[in-house]
Amino acid sequence: MMDTQLLISGVIFGLSIGSIFFLMAIGLSLCFGLMRIISLDQLLYYSIGAYITYSISLVTGSLWLGALAGMVVAGVISFGVERFIFLRIYERDIAFTMIASFGVLIGGVGVIKSIWGVIPRPVPIPMVTQISILGTEVPFYRLLVVVISLLVYVAIWLFLNRTIIGKAIRAGIEDVEHVEGLGINVYRLFTTTFIIAGTLSGLAGGLHAPLIMVDPQMGLEVMPFVFMVVIIGGLGSIKGTLISAFLVGQVVSLGSLIYAPLAQMAPFAIMLLILLIKPTGLYGSKLLKR
Amino acid sequence: MNNGEILTVRNLNVSYGEAKVLFDIDLGVKPGQVVACVGRNGAGKSTLLKSIAGFLKPLSGSVTCDGIGLIGLMSYDIAKMGIKYIPQDKKVFSDLTVRENLELGSYATKDYNWDQVTDYFPKLKQLMDRKAGHLSGGERQMLMIGRAILGSPKVLLIDEPTEGLAPSIVSHLRVVFGELRKKSSLVIVEQNLPLICAISDKVYAIKEGRIIKELAGESVKANICEQYL
Repeated sequence: MMDTQLLISGVIFGLSIGSIFFLMAIGLSLCFGLMRIISLDQLLYYSIGAYITYSISLVTGSLWLGALAGMVVAGVISFGVERFIFLRIYERDIAFTMIASFGVLIGGVGVIKSIWGVIPRPVPIPMVTQISILGTEVPFYRLLVVVISLLVYVAIWLFLNRTIIGKAIRAGIEDVEHVEGLGINVYRLFTTTFIIAGTLSGLAGGLHAPLIMVDPQMGLEVMPFVFMVVIIGGLGSIKGTLISAFLVGQVVSLGSLIYAPLAQMAPFAIMLLILLIKPTGLYGSKLLKR
Repeated sequence: MNNGEILTVRNLNVSYGEAKVLFDIDLGVKPGQVVACVGRNGAGKSTLLKSIAGFLKPLSGSVTCDGIGLIGLMSYDIAKMGIKYIPQDKKVFSDLTVRENLELGSYATKDYNWDQVTDYFPKLKQLMDRKAGHLSGGERQMLMIGRAILGSPKVLLIDEPTEGLAPSIVSHLRVVFGELRKKSSLVIVEQNLPLICAISDKVYAIKEGRIIKELAGESVKANICEQYL
C-alpha cells in the first residue's frame, strides 16, 4: 500500500512534469495541426530556453528574468528558423520537413555544446518554500509551474477563441486551403503559430531548468514523452494536449513510485491502448492532408 | 481589360504531375456575365476554376483580371483582388460558428456589412451561433457563398453549387445568382442544365480537358448543352 505522503508528492511531481510536457507539446500540436509539419526543432527551443535561463540567472540571480529571456531568445530563433528554412519547404512532403527539423535540432544541439560545453549545469530553484497539502510538504515551485501552465492554457484558449488570428488558425487546422481562398495570408498564420510554439518551448525549458540538470541532450531525452502527449491528446487539440500531458505526467510519476521501470514503459502502453480505441487521440479531429 | 472582359484566360495548360488535364483553354468573362462550364466528371472543369483561383500552377498560358496577370500570384492574393473560389465540397469551418466563419470572410476583405449576406440568405441570421459543422448541406452552401461575397468580389468561381441540394434550395440559389450578377461576374461549373440555361449568358462545353464548344445567347438551351454532358 502506497504511503499517502508519497502519493501526494507523486501527484504534484506528475502535475509539474505534465505541465512541462504540455508547454512543449502545445507547439508541436499546433504546428502539425496548421502547417502539417512535425517540428522536432521545438525540442531545441526548449533546450535554448533552459540554457538562457541558466546563464541569465547566473548573472542576475533571478530565475524569472532568465526564463523570460529564454522565452524571448527561443521565440526569436524559432522565427529565424521558420523564415529561413520552413517557409521554403512547407509544400514538401511531411517526411522532408521532419528530417529538416531534425537537422535543425541536431545542429542546434551542436551549437549549444560549443557555447556551454557538455557538462550538465545546475540551476538553483528560485524558492525553497514548501507548502502543506493534507499534511504533506510539497515544493511551492512545482505548484507554481502547474499554475503557469494552466494560465498558458487559458491564454492560448482565449487567443484561439477570442481573436480573429486565433480563429483563422483554428480554421486553418481544419482546412488551410479554404482559409487561403478567403484571401487570408496563411503564411503569416504559420509564422505566428511557429513563434508561439517556439516561445512556449523556451518557457518550458526555463521552468524545467531548476528541476533538472541542464544538458545539451535534454531535448532529446523528453522527446518520446512529448510525442506521446501530442498523440494521446489528438493532433491540433489544445484541450486534448493538456489532459494528455497531465495523464502522461501522472503515469511517469506514479509509475516510478510503484515500480521504477513502469515510468518508462507505462506511458507507451497507455498510448498504444488509446490509439487502438481512438486512433485520432482523445480529442483529435479528422485532419485533412495538406 | 481584353474586349471588355474582366476575366480572360488564354492558352491555359495545366497538369497534375505527369498527367496533363487542361489543353489550351481560352475563356472570357465580361462584367456582370454568368458563364457556365459543363462537361462530364473528370473533364477538367474544377481544375480550370482552381487554376484561375491560384490553387494550381499552370504549365503555360495566361489568366488576367482587369488586365493584371494572375499566374504566379498566391491564391490569397488572387482572392484579395476579388476573385473568390467556392469549392464544391461544401466544407465550412465546422469547429467555428456561422458568425466566426463570416468573421473570417470579413477579416480578409475588411467588409463587415453582413446585411448583404443575410439579405440573400435570411436563414443564416438565426444560425449565427450554431457550429457550422451542424449545418445542413444547403445551409453550408449559403454560408460558403455568404462568406465569399463579402468584399464585393469581381468574379465568383462557383464549383457545383447545387450538387446534392433540395430543389427548394436550388430555386433559392437561382434567384440569388440572378441578384449576385448585378455586382459580380459568375463562373459556374454545374451539371444542372435547367439552372445553367436559366441564368447563363455563355456556356463552355469541356471534354477531356479541351473546350469543344462555346454557346452564347439563343443557343444556350438544355437540349443543346445536354449533347456535351
